[in-house]
Amino acid sequence: MSDETTAPASIPEELSQQFTNEGGFLATKLDTVINWGRSNSLWPFPFGTACCAIEFMGTVSSVFDLSRFGAELVRFSPRQADLLLVAGTITYKQAPILKQIYDQMCEPKWVVAIGACASSGGFYDCYCTVPGIDHIIPVDVYVAGCPPRPEAILESLVQIQNKIGDEKVSTTHVEASS
Amino acid sequence: MSDAPETTDVEDKRADQDALESRFQATPDIHDSWDASFIVTADVLRDALIALRDEFAYNVLIDITTIDYLSHAQHDGERFAVSYNLKSLSSGDRIRLKVWVSEEEAEIVSVHDVWKNANWLEREAWDQYGVSFIGHPNQKRLLNHIDFKGHPLRKDFPVRKRQELSVNDAMLDELEARLQGKGYAVLEQGSPAGVKA
Ligand code: SF4
Repeated sequence: MSDETTAPASIPEELSQQFTNEGGFLATKLDTVINWGRSNSLWPFPFGTACCAIEFMGTVSSVFDLSRFGAELVRFSPRQADLLLVAGTITYKQAPILKQIYDQMCEPKWVVAIGACASSGGFYDCYCTVPGIDHIIPVDVYVAGCPPRPEAILESLVQIQNKIGDEKVSTTHVEASS
Repeated sequence: MSDAPETTDVEDKRADQDALESRFQATPDIHDSWDASFIVTADVLRDALIALRDEFAYNVLIDITTIDYLSHAQHDGERFAVSYNLKSLSSGDRIRLKVWVSEEEAEIVSVHDVWKNANWLEREAWDQYGVSFIGHPNQKRLLNHIDFKGHPLRKDFPVRKRQELSVNDAMLDELEARLQGKGYAVLEQGSPAGVKA
């Protein structure tokens, strides 16, 4: 690769140990390289329906800056995104739309439920609110708070990155049930 | 509406209320502390609303809503009241008309052609309370999911009742109507691919 003796900071330990200036090549596992790439270039789809989405804006903007984690390329097409950020209250009327957006995203994909509403329905214990998006789609990380602070949203991103690091390339998230 | 009388002094301010009482046999609603509130019967409701709009410059329909008096401690009478809240932009006055609606009939005449926004307000009132508006051109649910069963703001709707609602409503009927209004032809009703310029 390069003839630098020290690897860039964002490279995982497993990879960086194998950076040498001898021979100019690198031997590692495919999983490690692919997961390193995936976890540092997440393309989020913000499914913002309520107040929590405002907090997501704060997370993306310069003060907290989601791009420090390689996830600044916010996409508004599910076809181009691999990280679904559900920020806000999901009503039963909204639920089929969320499900459809999730289905339209390509594998591999990850889901974060941002805030009390997305995680559990929040304080909306009523006829019109889905009591947690995990009734409709699988969720990888839940973020507590009403709304959560941007730090908590960043934390969830780091958790997703760690989770990706543990994955095998051959792993599929969803299997056809019939 | 432009030739409506200006309501400026105190005597004039009562003119609308007097007219309601004399011409439409309206009775003041003593339990209601809003600016002015009157109870009318269903058969004069439409005329009363048109008179308020055209003669007394109540040019804004703020809201149409329904009240469910089931289990109300101080109420004996019909279960529902449909309430029409009006405002005059020239005088700033507000007035409310209420009509009693029985549980068995649960219907009242539509005023969608008196105020345009009544169309959606009536849809909302029907969706949430199940009071039907006779003559409404498109009485379908406004806020709740299209497959929703029941009327959730009725007092006897089970609070913890949940329903499985999975259809995605593309709302093509309204979209198609709009497109037709703009000169498009609808080739296949209810199909996303069915509209042609
Ligand atoms: S969790 Fe709180 S802040 Fe977030 S969408 Fe729900 S009500 Fe709004």
